Amino acid sequence: MSTLIIGLSLSFLLFLLSAGLTLIFGMLGVINFAHGALYMLGAYVSFQIVQITGSFWLGLLFAPLIVAALGALIEVVALKRVYSHDHIFQLLLTFGLILVIDDATKLIWGLDYKQVPTPELLAPPVALFGSQVPSYRLFVIGFGALVSLGLFLLLDRSKWGMIIRAASSDADMARTLGIDVNKVRTGVFALGSFLAALGGAITAPLVPIELGMGFSVIIDCFVVVIIGGLGNIRGAIFASLLLGMTRAAGYTYATEWVELLTFALLIGTLMFRPEGLFSYKGRSA
Amino acid sequence: MRRRSVGQTLMAVIIGAMITIPFFLPGEQWVNLVSLILIWALFAIGFDLVFGVTGMLSFGHAALLGSGGYALTVLTLSYQVGFLPALLAAALMGALLAFCMGLFALRVSGLFFALLTLALAQMMYILASNKLRALTGGVDGIPGVPRPDLFGINFYDNRNYYAFIVVVFLIGLAVMALLRVSPFGRALRAVQANDTRASQLGHNVHALRQSAFVVSGVYAGISGGLLASLMFYISPQMLHWATSGDVMIMTVLGGKGTLLGPILGVAVFELLKEELSQVTQYWYGILGLIFILATIFLRNGIAGLFHGRDDQDQGGVS
Repeated sequence: MSTLIIGLSLSFLLFLLSAGLTLIFGMLGVINFAHGALYMLGAYVSFQIVQITGSFWLGLLFAPLIVAALGALIEVVALKRVYSHDHIFQLLLTFGLILVIDDATKLIWGLDYKQVPTPELLAPPVALFGSQVPSYRLFVIGFGALVSLGLFLLLDRSKWGMIIRAASSDADMARTLGIDVNKVRTGVFALGSFLAALGGAITAPLVPIELGMGFSVIIDCFVVVIIGGLGNIRGAIFASLLLGMTRAAGYTYATEWVELLTFALLIGTLMFRPEGLFSYKGRSA
Repeated sequence: MRRRSVGQTLMAVIIGAMITIPFFLPGEQWVNLVSLILIWALFAIGFDLVFGVTGMLSFGHAALLGSGGYALTVLTLSYQVGFLPALLAAALMGALLAFCMGLFALRVSGLFFALLTLALAQMMYILASNKLRALTGGVDGIPGVPRPDLFGINFYDNRNYYAFIVVVFLIGLAVMALLRVSPFGRALRAVQANDTRASQLGHNVHALRQSAFVVSGVYAGISGGLLASLMFYISPQMLHWATSGDVMIMTVLGGKGTLLGPILGVAVFELLKEELSQVTQYWYGILGLIFILATIFLRNGIAGLFHGRDDQDQGGVS
């Protein structure tokens, strides 16, 4: 049972992150290497807010907003200038961002581990189907589901979502129709940063906050988007579930091999469906 | 055209001076720095065959470098193989691993190639740190990597080893220069410019990409062996993603798609690192900032400055 709970909570975290990654790719054509760094930043900022205010919830609310603002700034100041270059330069630029964000984090918070305490409300474990389950994990699942639903409604049902979809499928046409595509791009990058930081803020009570956390998570996200098909939100859901559950099962049954399971999954997918499990057309990015 | 050849000559002169001067300077500081630069430069020109010439961004070159380093270390220390055969084995190891990585990574194209090579290299890093502990010494690494044992020369003297590195580097550079102007090199450029057209012209695009990756693996393997020997030490850190990032930064700073650019990029990178790390512990972040500025304003890197223009995006210059 706890395997299932851990797996689901992992899956939702992965989904929040890869959804942001996929969203940014779909709209901007950029693979954001710094996504993991923004996730890490979300965790650190929420740690800082918890330190100051003592409230986990304020951290969960404001950390993503602060990082989203930073994301918008990054897009306007730097990323905007390389859209006209070859695609590889956008990836290179976001890689440079990792170095800058990592060192800025080191400068502000130092090298030692930080810890965010689990909010009191969610500290006691609850009994579920005869086993003790940490209630914070349940919260992560519920919250992740809620955010995913919100994201789906935003993209698929709202006017903003329509604008985003229009601008990503044909930027020129959208521009002709009077949409300020530049603003949409900034907004989407901010939204992706928001999701990354939200993932970081939720994870904060679960793991020690440290500099390396950004990069290990970005690898997992890349695996999710390769399996699920980049730019494909539904694919990301299934791939997140697949990877999250596999890892959780790994923790329970083959602890030593968890790190490698991810790659086994990746290689397996590539052997049999190089175009991704949920992609209908050949991929060329 | 004239301006370009003047720029080329200038670059060659600078690199020539960089290689020659340590022979005449007293003290070992410059010998050590340029040794490091030349080894990384060998790695970078191999990397650029894939990145700048063929147009595939590999984020997994750290694994190739590390495999070469470990091949040399394990063969010389555990199996008492001579240095030169072991260096040859390091080259083969790099090629073999590149071939295997290519089998998977070349199933996708474009930006996905970068993600996949990164994931595969990360897997190698984890393997080297944990599962292959018996072979690689785990995170502690292996100390005592030997130097060459040739003609009775004492290569444990850093000056002598420097001369050895210079020879290997110049051979590597000459071979790469030939490869790049050969029909093979031209075909790789065609693949970068337009892979569909290249394939319509009868080129086997997949085989070309695979070969470029393997040749690049040879360069990485040799560099890894030389690097381990220079440091007397190897650890999984050599396979860390930051290593892949470093060679990419060097190549972009210097000018991708050019033969001499990456060498200058390595030199600038190492000099900046040397100077900045004395002033601040946050040198890597500053380097990142410089790199970001380069991606925005200096697409053709330092070599672009020598060529006097920044309009050629496809690595068409040689």
